[in-house]
Amino acid sequence: MSAPEPTHPLAAAARGHHGATGGAALHVTFPAREIVQVMLRRGQDNALAAAMRAAFGIDPPGPGATATGSGVTAIWVQPGQWLLTAPRSSEGALATQAARAFVGLAAVADQSHGRTTIALSGAAAREVLSRGCRLDLHQAAFGPGRAANTPIAQIGCLVHQTDATPCFELTVFSTLADPFLHWLIEAAAPLGVDIA
Amino acid sequence: MTQRHRLATGGHVDRAQRLGFSFDGRRHEGHAGDTLASALLANGVRLVGRSFKYHRPRGIFSAGVEEPNALVELRSGARREPNTRATVAELFEGLAATSQNRRGSLAFDWMAVNGLLAPWLGAGFYYKTFMWPASFWERVYEPAVRKAAGLGRASGLPDPDHYEAAHAHCDVLVVGAGVAGLAAALAAGSAGARVMLLEQDFLLGGDLLNDPAQEAWRSTTIAALAAMPGVTIMPRTMAFGFYDGRVIGAVEQVADHLPEPPPHAPRQRYWTIRAQEVVLATGAHERLIAFPGNDRPGVMLAGAARTYARRYAVRAGETAVLFATHDAAYDAALALAEAGTRIAAIIDPRSDSAAMQRAREAGFTVRAGSVVTGTVGGTVLRGVEIGALGSGSRGDALPADLLMISGGWNPAVHLASMAGTPLRWDDALRAFLPGDSAWQRSAGACRGVHGIGAAAQDGAAEGRAAARAAGFAAAAAAVPLPEGPAADHRPFELWEVQARGKAFVDLQDDVTADDIRLAHREGFIHIEHAKRYTTHAMGTDQGKVGGLVGAAVLAAARGEPVATVGMPRYRPYAAPVAWGAMAGGEVGKHFQPVRRTSLHGEHDRLGAVWMDAGLWKRPAYYPKATDADAWASVKREAHAVRERVGVCDVSTLGKIAVEGPDAATFLDRVYANTFSTLAIGRARYGLMLREDGIVFDDGTTTRLGPDRFFVTTTTAQAGPVMQHLEFHLASAWPHLDVSLASVTDHWAAMSIAGPKARDVVAAVVQGIDVANEAFPFMAVADCTAAGVPARLFRISFSGELAYEIAMPAGYATHVWQAVLAAGAPHGIEPYGVEALGLLRIEKGHVAGAELNGQTTAHDLGLGRMLKKKGDFIGRVLAQRPGLTDPSRPHLVGLRSVDPNRQIRAGSHLLVDGQDQGWISSATQSVVDPGWIGLGMLRDGAARIGREIVAANPLMGEEVPVKVVTPHGYDAENLRVRA
Repeated sequence: MSAPEPTHPLAAAARGHHGATGGAALHVTFPAREIVQVMLRRGQDNALAAAMRAAFGIDPPGPGATATGSGVTAIWVQPGQWLLTAPRSSEGALATQAARAFVGLAAVADQSHGRTTIALSGAAAREVLSRGCRLDLHQAAFGPGRAANTPIAQIGCLVHQTDATPCFELTVFSTLADPFLHWLIEAAAPLGVDIA
Repeated sequence: MTQRHRLATGGHVDRAQRLGFSFDGRRHEGHAGDTLASALLANGVRLVGRSFKYHRPRGIFSAGVEEPNALVELRSGARREPNTRATVAELFEGLAATSQNRRGSLAFDWMAVNGLLAPWLGAGFYYKTFMWPASFWERVYEPAVRKAAGLGRASGLPDPDHYEAAHAHCDVLVVGAGVAGLAAALAAGSAGARVMLLEQDFLLGGDLLNDPAQEAWRSTTIAALAAMPGVTIMPRTMAFGFYDGRVIGAVEQVADHLPEPPPHAPRQRYWTIRAQEVVLATGAHERLIAFPGNDRPGVMLAGAARTYARRYAVRAGETAVLFATHDAAYDAALALAEAGTRIAAIIDPRSDSAAMQRAREAGFTVRAGSVVTGTVGGTVLRGVEIGALGSGSRGDALPADLLMISGGWNPAVHLASMAGTPLRWDDALRAFLPGDSAWQRSAGACRGVHGIGAAAQDGAAEGRAAARAAGFAAAAAAVPLPEGPAADHRPFELWEVQARGKAFVDLQDDVTADDIRLAHREGFIHIEHAKRYTTHAMGTDQGKVGGLVGAAVLAAARGEPVATVGMPRYRPYAAPVAWGAMAGGEVGKHFQPVRRTSLHGEHDRLGAVWMDAGLWKRPAYYPKATDADAWASVKREAHAVRERVGVCDVSTLGKIAVEGPDAATFLDRVYANTFSTLAIGRARYGLMLREDGIVFDDGTTTRLGPDRFFVTTTTAQAGPVMQHLEFHLASAWPHLDVSLASVTDHWAAMSIAGPKARDVVAAVVQGIDVANEAFPFMAVADCTAAGVPARLFRISFSGELAYEIAMPAGYATHVWQAVLAAGAPHGIEPYGVEALGLLRIEKGHVAGAELNGQTTAHDLGLGRMLKKKGDFIGRVLAQRPGLTDPSRPHLVGLRSVDPNRQIRAGSHLLVDGQDQGWISSATQSVVDPGWIGLGMLRDGAARIGREIVAANPLMGEEVPVKVVTPHGYDAENLRVRA
C-alpha cells in the first residue's frame, strides 16, 4: 500500500480572485514544504556548522538571516536554532537527512506538518503586510534573504523575504493557517489578490 | 437652496461642484471643499446644537478639531455616527446631519428648562443630590440624568463598515502640514530621509489656506513633496497619541468623506507609526474669553471667522464685533470686512497698540480699554454689550450678529506633552510651550513661533535637524521658504470678564468660571481635582479652547500664577477616535483567531456541535436525528465507548519533544514524579507542580530513546507548560543540555477507546503486535497506520481499553477514515468533548476543573506520586502547613440521591449547613444512570457514604447528594489492562 499524499492545511481555502478587481496586485501560493527544526547541542557550534556545510552546502545563518544551499534553506529563528526548509519530496526525507547529518550535534524535530508556508508576491506585498506586521519591510531595513518572527493578526509568523519582487514567505502554525489566510485576504482585498 | 452667505470669489471651495445635504431634515447646498460647518454657515444656519447640561442654544464656535459646540449626528441607520464635529466633517453629496441632545425641535428644546434651574445645577450637583437612597442611583437617577444630559445616540446596530490596522516606519515623522510642517517635510525629504507627513485636514496648508498670496508656495511645495519617492503624504490622518520610543498612533479617515466606503475599502485605518525622529508641527488653538453669554450662537473664535471668510469664502455674519486682546486677531476684522461684513466695532482691553492704530487709520471703530460684558439675543446673537475694562457691570448693547473673540493662542502641545516634554509658561504669549525633549521636536505655532515666515524657518530648521539626527548627514540644499508678515500674538492678560451671567470656560461641558470657583471653595484646588469635580476640559474637545482659561480662573482663586497651577495632564487621545478604528478587523468571530485541528473538516461532515477550548474549536458531540436532545447524543457516544468502541480527536493536547543528554534529569526536576527510570517505549502519567506547590498540569510522557522524550500537556496548559519549561531551562538550569520543540501542530492524534478498541487498532495499524502481552498498558511504538507513518500509545483517559494513534497532521483525515471503516463492524462512534468528560468523571480522572490552580497533589488524591528522593519544582512550598493541612478539601465522587435531580459544577457542598467544598465537574452516568460529579470536600475521605447537600443559590437549588469514592468505576483498572 503506497502512502497517500498528506492533506494541506489550506486545502479547503477558496482559490481564485478575492477583493478589488482590475489586475491583481498580489499573488498567493501555498508551496508544499518540508520544514525541520534544528536545535544546537551545547558547545557543538563549529561541528554543527561543518556538518551543515557538508550535508547541505550552507553555513548556519546568524540572527535575522537565512542561507540557501542546494535546494535547502536555513532560517535563523533563535540563538542556536534554525529551520531547514526544502520543497516537499517524500515524507520525513529532510528530517531523516538532517537527523543523520547532525547526530550528537543538534536535535531535529520534523515540523513539516506543523508549519504552513504562504507565499505572497507582488508590488503591493509590503503594503498588505503592513496591515498586520509591525516589522519595517522597507528595502533599506529588510530585503531578500532576511527573516524575522513576529505576531501578525495575533498569530506568530515567520516572515522570510525570498526575492526582490518582493516575495515574502509567511510560515505559521498549521492549525492557525486558516485564520491567518483570512486576515491576509482581508488585508489584500482593497488591492485584489489571486490565490493559486 | 441659496448660499446667501457665500462669497462670489476666493477660497478653497469648488463652486462648480454643488453638493446637496440636509440638516435636521432641511435641504441645503454646499460645495466641494466645504466642511459641514462652513456649508451650514454659507446657508445662514447659526443654531446647530444644544449644550450638554443646560440645553442652551449653541452655534459653530471654531473651524477645526477643537470645536466644543457643533457636535452632530451624521448619516442614519447602522451608519449613524454621533458627536461628529461639524467643523471637520467633510461635505459630500447626500450628507444627512442631525442635531443632538434636544427634545422637541432644536429651536424649542423643552429641556432648556434646565437653563432656568441653572442656579441649582452647578458643579458637583449630581454628586451631591443623587446620593440617597443609594439603590436609586443605578435604577432611577443615572438613567434619568443620562437621558437629560449627554451627547448623541449610538446607532445600536452592528457597524456595516470595516476598519483596519496598519503599521508604518519612517526616519522623520512630521505631524501637521501647516507651513511649519510642510517646510519640515521638505527639508527632511530633501536630505534623503524617509518622511511621513500627517495632516488631519483634507487639505494641506493650515493657515496658508487663509492667504491667497501663499498659494503658489503651498502648491509648489506639495508638488515637490509628492514627487519625492521617500515622502509619504497622509491627509485626513489625525495623530492622537505619542507613546514610548517614538511610537505615534494615528487614524486615517479613508472613507468618512464619502457616503459609504467603496467596495473593499475600510472606513478608517488605525496607524501605528514607528519613527526615528518626530517633528511636531501641530499649530495652535485659539482660546476663548469667559464673559456672560459667551456661548450664544454667533459668538465665534476670531481666527475661525477669518478661516470661514478666507478659506471657505463664507461670511459668518452681517454685522460683526471683534473682541481682541492682541494684534494678530485684528486680521479677522480685515478678512470679514473684505467679505462684506460690517465691522461694528473692535473691542480691545488694551489702551493702545500698533494694530489698533492701523485699524483706526483704515476706518474701523476701535474701543480701547473696553471689554465685552455680555451678549443679547435668543437662539442667535442680536447684540454685544460693551463696558469699560474692570467696571464689573454689563454695558451698552451694540447690535451685531457675529462676535469674534480671541483671548490668545494655546500651542497644541498635546503630543509633545504625551512624549514627556515638560511644559514651560511663556509670559509674553501667556501660554504653556513645550520645553526641551529628547523625544520630539516642536516647530512653528505649537511652540509659540507665529507668522508664516517665522514658522516656515522654524519648520525647515527642525526638519533638517531631524533628518540629520536620523542619520542623513548630507547637508540638504536650502529649501525655498515663503515670506510673510510678522504677527504679534502676545495677548493682554484677560481670562474673564466678571459680570452677572454665565461665563463659560468649557462650552462643551457647560462649566462656568463660577463652577471653577465653587470647586476651589469646596477644596478641589488642584487642577486635576477641579477638572474632575467640574468636568472642565473633559469633553470630546478636551478643553482645547477653554482649558487654560479654567486653569487661570482657578489660579486667580488660589491667588497664584497660572504657571504654578498648570494644566491637567495631557493623555491620549488628543482628539476623538472611533471605537471601530481601535477594534480594526478583530471583531465578531475574528476577535481571536480560531484554531482548527486537521480533522476539523471530518467533524464538520459528521455534523459536530462545536465548543470553544481556548482558541480551539473542538466537537462537543455529534447529534443524530434520532437523539432526543444533546444529552441523548452525549450518552449515546459514551455508551459506545463503554460497550463497543469510540474514536475521539485529541490533537489539541500539547505535545513537546524533549531531547538531549540531560533530558531525563530535566524531566525529573519539572515533574513531581520520576522519569529517568522510565523504560524506552513506555509512557508514564506525570504531574507538574507550580513553584508554589499547587498542581500545574498533568499528562503522559513517553520515552522514545535514551535522550528523547515526548511530553503531552492538557489542551488548556499547552502554552503555559512550554513557557514554564523554557523559562527554567533558560534561567534556572542553563547548564542542562536539553532542547524543546513544540510539535503540537505537527502531530494529530485520535483516541480509540472501548472493549473493541484492539480489534479496530489491529485492523488499522501495521508493524506492531497489539496483543495485550506484546503491547501492554502504557506501551508506545512507532508503526504505520493505514499506510502512513504513525505512533501508537496504549493509554486511557476513559477507563476503557484504549489506544492513541498519532500521525503527521496531514495524514489525520486518511487515518480517521480508516479507523471509522475498520470500526464500522464493531459499531464505532466518534465521540466529542462532552462524552470524553462524562467518561473521565465516571472513572474519577481529574481535569482542568480540578486542576484549577487551587489544588495540591494531596487534595487530588495524587499525593503518592510525589517522589521521595530528589528535588523538583514545587516540592518545598508544597510542604507549607496551609498546603498540608489534612482538613483541606479533598477529591470525592458525588451522586445525586434522586437520580433525576441535576447537580451542577459550581454548586457548594453543605455539610450540616456549613460550606465544606464545591462541585468541580458534573455529568450523567451511563454505567449507573443518574447525576454524578467530582468535587472538593473538606475531610472528603472521611465523609464517603454521607448524604450532604449541593447548594446552588444562583439557580435556587439544594440537591441532596451522596459522597462516594471518585474511583467507583473499575477501581482495579481491569478494563484498561484487558
